[in-house]
Amino acid sequence: MKVRVDMTMCEDHGQCAIAAPDVFRMNDESKLEYDPNPDDSLLAEVEEAADVCPAQAIFIED
Amino acid sequence: MTATTTPDYPSIDAADLPYLPVADPTFSVQSAAVREARDAGWCARTPYGLAILRYEQVNRLLKDRRLRQGSWAWPQHNGVEGPFAQWWAGWLLNKEGQDHARLRRLLNPAFSPKLLAALSPRFVALANELIDGFAPAGQCDFVSDFAEPYAARVIAIMLGIPEQEWPKIAEDSATLGLALGVTFKQELPRIEAALESLFAYAEQLIADRQAHPKDDFVTRLVQAQRDDDRMTHQELLDSLALLIFGGFDTTRNQLGLAIKTFLDHPDQWKLLAEHPELGGTAVEEVMRVNPAVTWVTREALDDFEFQGLAIKAGTTVHLFSESAGTDPRTVENPQFDITATGRPPHFGFGGGAHHCLGHFVARSDMSVALPILARRMPDLRLGGEADWMPLSGNTGANSLPLAFSAGH
Repeated sequence: MKVRVDMTMCEDHGQCAIAAPDVFRMNDESKLEYDPNPDDSLLAEVEEAADVCPAQAIFIED
Repeated sequence: MTATTTPDYPSIDAADLPYLPVADPTFSVQSAAVREARDAGWCARTPYGLAILRYEQVNRLLKDRRLRQGSWAWPQHNGVEGPFAQWWAGWLLNKEGQDHARLRRLLNPAFSPKLLAALSPRFVALANELIDGFAPAGQCDFVSDFAEPYAARVIAIMLGIPEQEWPKIAEDSATLGLALGVTFKQELPRIEAALESLFAYAEQLIADRQAHPKDDFVTRLVQAQRDDDRMTHQELLDSLALLIFGGFDTTRNQLGLAIKTFLDHPDQWKLLAEHPELGGTAVEEVMRVNPAVTWVTREALDDFEFQGLAIKAGTTVHLFSESAGTDPRTVENPQFDITATGRPPHFGFGGGAHHCLGHFVARSDMSVALPILARRMPDLRLGGEADWMPLSGNTGANSLPLAFSAGH
């Protein structure tokens, strides 16, 4: 699957890194880093990350 | 190309920082002293530690993992042990790291914005029903006639309990709120009784949904599962009691502060009545200039340096949400304007790992209520003397008499 975070919307709260730690992580500067091409087996947790993002900045693209 | 991106900051001597007496009941986060301190620099001293005043630094420190949420030791600081202290220690807000992440993963999905969208028509009906009660008179006490029943009945709707039971939610939450004040220890017996009452309520709800699952919020919590992990019975009880307590006061207070903001901007009130689609930005703007949570508290986990200032482990750091939200260095034309676009996010819901769990609910119920209030309470004005809590910590109105053109 393809994951895109709109970085103009991202507020770096890190809720996605809590929901899907295999795909999203907060670096030492507390900024988001993510894998834009995670394995399809991680779909459920990526969907959850997109759902709980306070800024609704995460998009899953086929 | 150089690898280093960290700018050099001149060293700040804490002794040179301005002092803000934040524990004084007459202190206001909107005072000239705070504005002067914000012009002088990004930080001030307080009796507890530090106050952070500018947008950039509040934004960074809110998400900086060298700090933890700052009120975790409040019961211990007050010499309080027993059931209340145990409940407090179990709060999502007072957990950190993996313990926090685990519980947040289990709780977050129940607050999905997709699932909440279905409740919006009920919020509309509730707002109209409450206004029907006082619109013919052209006057009301906004807190007791609207903000309190609205906030408590939204929780009743969320929990799927009869809405007429709202006074119980309001009463127990208000009593628990005494735990955040100076009379905490004296009031402990009452506070413990209120907690027991909320637990008994939560116990019934959990038992009911375990026996009769529905398509609703409490069922989602009861069934919440991540991999093979679920909440324990105690975690469910603790969390439900926290959600009732955390959702009531904050929403009631924020609604009163919204009215205060619009009383100062009658043109914007009129505009909102004519353009209900501005309800969402109205909520964001109100929370930027008049947040109910005027500061977010953090505590330094280790000694560290931040932009030239040495911060010692254990230091209490107050991140001033309103001061940051109106900081002209980051927010262009910071005056209240519900038509403004491209504003940087405010900090009225905190931020980082502890970002408010219930923000989609609060955003939804307030963005529905404000345009209906604006349409049905035209020519809004103060109808008597209002009673406000100190403009610091968690703030809001105790009473707010209003007058307006009747019959809308």
